[in-house]
Amino acid sequence: MLELTPLQWAQLALWVPLLSAVVLAAVWPLRKAGGPAAGVSLVAATVNLAAAAVLLFGWLNGAEDVRHTAPWLIGGQGLIELGVHLDGVSVSMLLVVAVVAWGVQVFSLGYLADEPKAGFGRYYTWQSLFLFSMNSLVLAPNLLQLFLGWELVGLCSYLLIGYWFTKPSAAKAALKAFWVTKFADMGLLLGLIVLYTHTGGFEWTATTTAATTVTLLFFLAVMGKSAQFPLHIWLPDAMEGPTPVSALLHAATMVAAGVFLVVRAAPLFAQAPLTGEVMTWIGAFTALFAASIAVVQTDIKKVLAYSTCSQLGYMVAALGSGAVLGGYFHLTTHAFFKALLFLAAGGLIHAVHSNEISHMGGLLKKLPVTGWTFIIGALALAGFPGFSGFFSKDLILEGVAHQGQWVPLAMLLVGAFLTAFYMGRVVFIALLGAPSEHAAHAHEGGGSMKLPLLVLAVPALALGFFAGPVAGLWGHEYHFHLGWVGLTASALGLAGIGLSWVMFAKGGAQGLLAAFAPVGALARSGAVDRLWATGYRQGLQVLGGAIAWLDRYVIDALMNLIGYLSLALGDRLRAVQTGNVRDYVYAVVAGLLLLGAWGAMFPG
Amino acid sequence: MMQAWLILAAALFSLGLFGLLTRRNAVGILLSVELMANAVNVVLVAFGRWHGVADGQVFALFTTAITVAEAAIGLALVILLYRQRQDVLVDAATEMRG
Repeated sequence: MLELTPLQWAQLALWVPLLSAVVLAAVWPLRKAGGPAAGVSLVAATVNLAAAAVLLFGWLNGAEDVRHTAPWLIGGQGLIELGVHLDGVSVSMLLVVAVVAWGVQVFSLGYLADEPKAGFGRYYTWQSLFLFSMNSLVLAPNLLQLFLGWELVGLCSYLLIGYWFTKPSAAKAALKAFWVTKFADMGLLLGLIVLYTHTGGFEWTATTTAATTVTLLFFLAVMGKSAQFPLHIWLPDAMEGPTPVSALLHAATMVAAGVFLVVRAAPLFAQAPLTGEVMTWIGAFTALFAASIAVVQTDIKKVLAYSTCSQLGYMVAALGSGAVLGGYFHLTTHAFFKALLFLAAGGLIHAVHSNEISHMGGLLKKLPVTGWTFIIGALALAGFPGFSGFFSKDLILEGVAHQGQWVPLAMLLVGAFLTAFYMGRVVFIALLGAPSEHAAHAHEGGGSMKLPLLVLAVPALALGFFAGPVAGLWGHEYHFHLGWVGLTASALGLAGIGLSWVMFAKGGAQGLLAAFAPVGALARSGAVDRLWATGYRQGLQVLGGAIAWLDRYVIDALMNLIGYLSLALGDRLRAVQTGNVRDYVYAVVAGLLLLGAWGAMFPG
Repeated sequence: MMQAWLILAAALFSLGLFGLLTRRNAVGILLSVELMANAVNVVLVAFGRWHGVADGQVFALFTTAITVAEAAIGLALVILLYRQRQDVLVDAATEMRG
């Protein structure tokens, strides 16, 4: 074992992926070779995984927090620093990112094996860049570095969604993701500016009277990054990227950056009860809204995308209710089981060359590893008792109930029912249903596509039983306790699975499908997208119209008035220029006399 | 004595000014300007003598030289005017009216 200090391990986790990205970007023969490029990136991901594992092990054994910073800029009110902050929160997130990123990179070896070599190399360059960006976000010692990492992962998201950039829909989706999140990120930037002017720094531990303004602005950015209604519109489109990208960025890590920001800045958010209230409501509404849309999606990735929106809503609602442990624990469990679901979905898609669940069917027999790991992920997501999602969701619901937020709690409970229902639907149709002709020649991917599934299935299955030590990392205590809220949620989850079994495995209760028709119509009509588009367009048009009016009737009018006055005055003054020399002479003499008179009146 | 010189200068200046204001002939106007300039020269020399310094005379010489140059340009303009209009009456030459 290498004898390194925690700081050195953290430096390793940070710089090795960057080194890999820079090498792959600069040495184009290596990048264009494809396979070797993947090898370089995978070595970096493995080093990162080892470093993160060592660090987590250290912190589970009660290592001291480490803070190492270097001066970056001389600010108006002191030094602005960059560096590394190691504590239970950052170390655990680091490991989550490392495990999922490693799994995704391994999985991509098989999933993208048919890609052109240059594209394959490009993909791994961006994967390495993403790993560095996410680590710099997670390890940030202050909110400014977190913002830098935040923007970097946004860039990687854009690049990876648009991986198939020659496909117009992918290019459009990448742009949409970029614009929507960038719009929201203005909130983070403005919040940081307000924070800096009030406290002279970017510390998340600051106490300030402007906490409500700052946190509300931060929350705008969180809504964009973590896809909260009504800024969730980019996430379903982001599924245009390769499925492993969806697993890593758009399910497990990058979209959770918003939640991570709230966890990190919890001391600031604790000073703003209003922000918490807003978060609880928006989170709960998103959880319900997105879950109900997921029910009617036929594209397996879209189901999972809306599910991600919905689960992020749970986390946001929890953090809004002050249930930091619940929110953060759900982030962790969700990262594992949703990455698992996406990768397994990728395996299914790879097998039938279609995203439609109706084109799958009976795949469990043909792809046992992929199928069973998908079922594990689905049970965790549905909050089936004993699976990881059960414990974290229970913590969230208890937290919201503890605050007495009964309406959001009801939304979250209905959401839990729908979650179980839509996951049941996917499992019963795609894995257990009647085989479709598309699935005739389906077969499982190679070892590189099985190993990550098995690795991720372990935490998805069992992480809940380690809630105690994990809570200890974050300075919380955890005691398992199943109250009436948890029992209700579990009952609703089981009911959801049961209903989906009746409807999609037994073909009963088809009348209920009609109940979801309006939701389907709403989802297909893209009402929220259109609302934004028209809002944007109308807003710009109204603004543009106002500015045009101002330009035409105020600024131009002012200019015209000056012009007119000059002309009129000149016209009057023309008479002075008679052209007669003697008039000029008279004027000179008159001036002379006036000067003389002046001198006589005011001598000296 | 100083008083007498100043009266002479004032009389010369007034004569010139009167001519400047009343003449219609461009040559007459130029002559009047010369009179006024010479009135100034008289004042310069007189005050130079009064203070017992040569500055006034030196300055008068300067003024004379400049006046000569001015007269040369003025006369050239008068000749051009004559070539254009076959007379040198300034009242009629109002082409520069705005």
